[in-house]
Amino acid sequence: MAREPIVHFDGMSIPIKAGQSLAAALTAAGQRTFRETSKGSSRGIFCGMGICQDCLVTVDGAPNQRACMTLAHDGMQVSTQVALAPLMDAPPLDRAPPSRQISPDVLVIGGGIGGLNAAIAAAQAGAQVVLLDERKVPGGQYLKQSAVADEPLDVQQAEGQKLVSAARAAGVEMTGGVEVWGAFDGLLFLAEHQGGALVIRPRKVIVATGAYERPRMTPGWTLPGVMTTGAAQTLWRSYRTLPGKRVAIFGTGPLNIQVALELAQGGAEVAAVGEAASKPTRNIASGIALIKANATLALKGVMMLAGLRHRRIPIHYEANLVGVEQVDGRLAVTYRDSSGTHQTIVDALCMNDGFEPQNEILRLLGAEMAYDQDFGHLRCRRGETMETTVEGLYAVGDCAGLGGAPAAAVEGRIAGRAAAASCRDEALGDISGLHAQLRRHRAFQSALWRMHSPAPRTLTEALDETIVCRCEEVTLGELRQSLTDKPGHAGTMKRATRAGMGRCQGRYCGPVVARLVAEETGQPLRDHSYFAPRVPIKPISIAAILAAQEALDGQI
Amino acid sequence: MGRYDVLVIGGGIVGLTAAIASAGQNARVLIVDAGINAGSNANAGSLHVQLQSRFIRLYPDQAPNVEASLPLYLQAVREWERLDALFGSFDLVRKGGLMLAEGEDQLRFLEMKARREEARGLSVEILDRRQLDALAPWLGPQIMGAELCRDEGKLNPLAANVRLRAEARRLGVEFLSDQVVSLHVDGAVVRAKGQGGQVHAAKQAVVAAAWGSGPLLKGWGPPVPSRAEPLHMNITEPGEVRINHLIQHAERSITLKQFGTGQIVIGGGWAAHDRGNASVPSVLAASMLGNVALAARLVPSISRLRVLRTWAGMNTTVDGKTVIGRLPAAPNIIVAVPGDAGYTLGPLVGRAAAEIAAGQPPSFEIANYGPSRFAA
Repeated sequence: MAREPIVHFDGMSIPIKAGQSLAAALTAAGQRTFRETSKGSSRGIFCGMGICQDCLVTVDGAPNQRACMTLAHDGMQVSTQVALAPLMDAPPLDRAPPSRQISPDVLVIGGGIGGLNAAIAAAQAGAQVVLLDERKVPGGQYLKQSAVADEPLDVQQAEGQKLVSAARAAGVEMTGGVEVWGAFDGLLFLAEHQGGALVIRPRKVIVATGAYERPRMTPGWTLPGVMTTGAAQTLWRSYRTLPGKRVAIFGTGPLNIQVALELAQGGAEVAAVGEAASKPTRNIASGIALIKANATLALKGVMMLAGLRHRRIPIHYEANLVGVEQVDGRLAVTYRDSSGTHQTIVDALCMNDGFEPQNEILRLLGAEMAYDQDFGHLRCRRGETMETTVEGLYAVGDCAGLGGAPAAAVEGRIAGRAAAASCRDEALGDISGLHAQLRRHRAFQSALWRMHSPAPRTLTEALDETIVCRCEEVTLGELRQSLTDKPGHAGTMKRATRAGMGRCQGRYCGPVVARLVAEETGQPLRDHSYFAPRVPIKPISIAAILAAQEALDGQI
Repeated sequence: MGRYDVLVIGGGIVGLTAAIASAGQNARVLIVDAGINAGSNANAGSLHVQLQSRFIRLYPDQAPNVEASLPLYLQAVREWERLDALFGSFDLVRKGGLMLAEGEDQLRFLEMKARREEARGLSVEILDRRQLDALAPWLGPQIMGAELCRDEGKLNPLAANVRLRAEARRLGVEFLSDQVVSLHVDGAVVRAKGQGGQVHAAKQAVVAAAWGSGPLLKGWGPPVPSRAEPLHMNITEPGEVRINHLIQHAERSITLKQFGTGQIVIGGGWAAHDRGNASVPSVLAASMLGNVALAARLVPSISRLRVLRTWAGMNTTVDGKTVIGRLPAAPNIIVAVPGDAGYTLGPLVGRAAAEIAAGQPPSFEIANYGPSRFAA
């Protein structure tokens, strides 16, 4: 009989399932600590989507590999990532896969619901379309596809499967496992694919990079076992792995409710769900607006709440995390709600306190942005066709500012058709029907978020010891201290404190630093208030940059 | 009458060290900085002493001036060590710099250069590959030899800038954010007019505005030909600390060094895109690719590390030589603009500016470095 496939982790044998990520396999085996920081603390899976860079491990000698983005293979040698990886030569270039240069009509970056719809629409309108996604399996965060070849869990996953098939049928060239790390004027994109370089010079580009989750920064939020709600959902929906036996979920918004139910259905014990907003029955007007905008989706929400009630999972409203501590290998979660301060012991704490758009490519290329006070993030200025202020650059879905999955799908269809028509010098035709749909979805979103609390929490009452920059381990106290020097700009505070200088490139601390400085200066937030956008969009190996330089030798 | 004894225009390394030295002697000091942050705040931390091949290649007409200034670079590195001991740590390491040769021609060039530098008092030596292996076994196999300059080093400019700023504050130096657009002298008072019309007055002014100095001094005697050179830089994630030396190349533009954090900074003169004074310069694809690829060929063992960030900053060149001294047309205005490698020379030039302002003999002989040399 064939031996069960395994990976070796620090000398232990860890069983794996075909298609599973390393992060999922290690989590299933109860391993939570993946790397050590230079200050000696431990880190594990946090974002689950390749941005936080905290689940780094060494894989077959290659340091700093993201466990959440690495497919587990039988016999892999995996070890805890030490803070300072040994310097070692990369394999010679002649062994790297060949580099490719492509010039599609339309490049779609991101294979979520917005990107898939955009790619299908553009291909059906006659354009040659290439869609790139960082994950091996397309679908993105909302449609989250299974990577372990199971039947779809529910309608949402089945819908994604259909969309991926439709994209294939429409002739979209889809490549997964691609890291787009460079975006330059004139629409030049540099990417890494399996160690080789991918150089893309599209005529039009549709950015559909979605959003990432805003954490609830609280003492202990960097501990292994604390992760975003989306990371827990990926473990379950994509890899059929529970984040832990007993979990708690805190923050705000509908994703927390949905994932609480999904994890419970998957067999987890959900100890508590904490929502920052007030009980929905106190917000009748928004409830009515929701039903008016989309009765089906409103009903889905009601059913989820009923599902939690049925399973006796308590939702605490007006609930706020106070702190997390490690106790005997588990997590002691302290939170406060209207009835007082409580503590619960769990294996995993999930958090989602709203979303931040992944707008790095848009900002790099100079697309105009404006600050949205209600959501506390930048929104990209777009015309009727979803084209930004940069010619040939379109933005769809949450990367342009939070709008939700149904709106992303419609925006994708509009941008796909418009980009294809523009490539082919054809008239766009009537898109008023799509815009009518978009208005309805936006009305729903707006009512939905009025029931939650999407604006970023102020840190006025947060403790000095709270870590804000998880990469460089910079605390709120250090940032407050630096404010007394009147830095005047987030970049100045970054240079003074190192906040934002780590591997996640300021994705988590950047918005906080920008807000702290804005509060101090009294200046309104705008695009320029944030850290300056810079390549690489994600950390990229020197070997991959060398491969791109060889591929482009002398062409730029 | 202004409240200030010394008005320092420019809060980079020259301005900060000038302010610290002045305030240390009880002068009341105001620093007015435009907040462009592309100079000292974007620096990569090389302490240059030996002649940079880049400079000789790009500005052959200025090379003799740089060569004549070599003793100044030596003195400047010692000034950095003094500040590091007083106000550090700046993560300053002075284990020397290696300029690499990949062919016989390059090695010959380095030998010639080393002889000239030795004559100016630098501690240099040509190493063959075997000797190099003892110091830097991680170099690529094609490296034939190198010039070792023992005087060179590196520091973390972020740490240095933060600590020096804190020291200036501790001494009571005041900071103001404004861009000075013109200078006016009214007897014993210098008035600097800001962008919004605000006037900053003091008994003396130190113009430490790097590439902005030339335009600001327009009309005050022979023009100071300060030039901005937008340059590209890259930094990696941390790795095992093994690279002690500042690495350069005999023919190609590169500096490579490892900080105490384990991060590797790659720079050395690749072009960036100048977007004017209103914003910081931006990064060019060709520079990022070319600069990093060259680093990977010279030091293959960094290939598995990832680049976290790139940025662009301004180097300032004049004529290869520092400009320091009182303006003949307005003796209460002191110009303080280092020649090439301004961050290395900065503290020495800043200190000299403060000494001049206090009527003391400067730390080095400034006779050859005065602003009047630009008279046609």
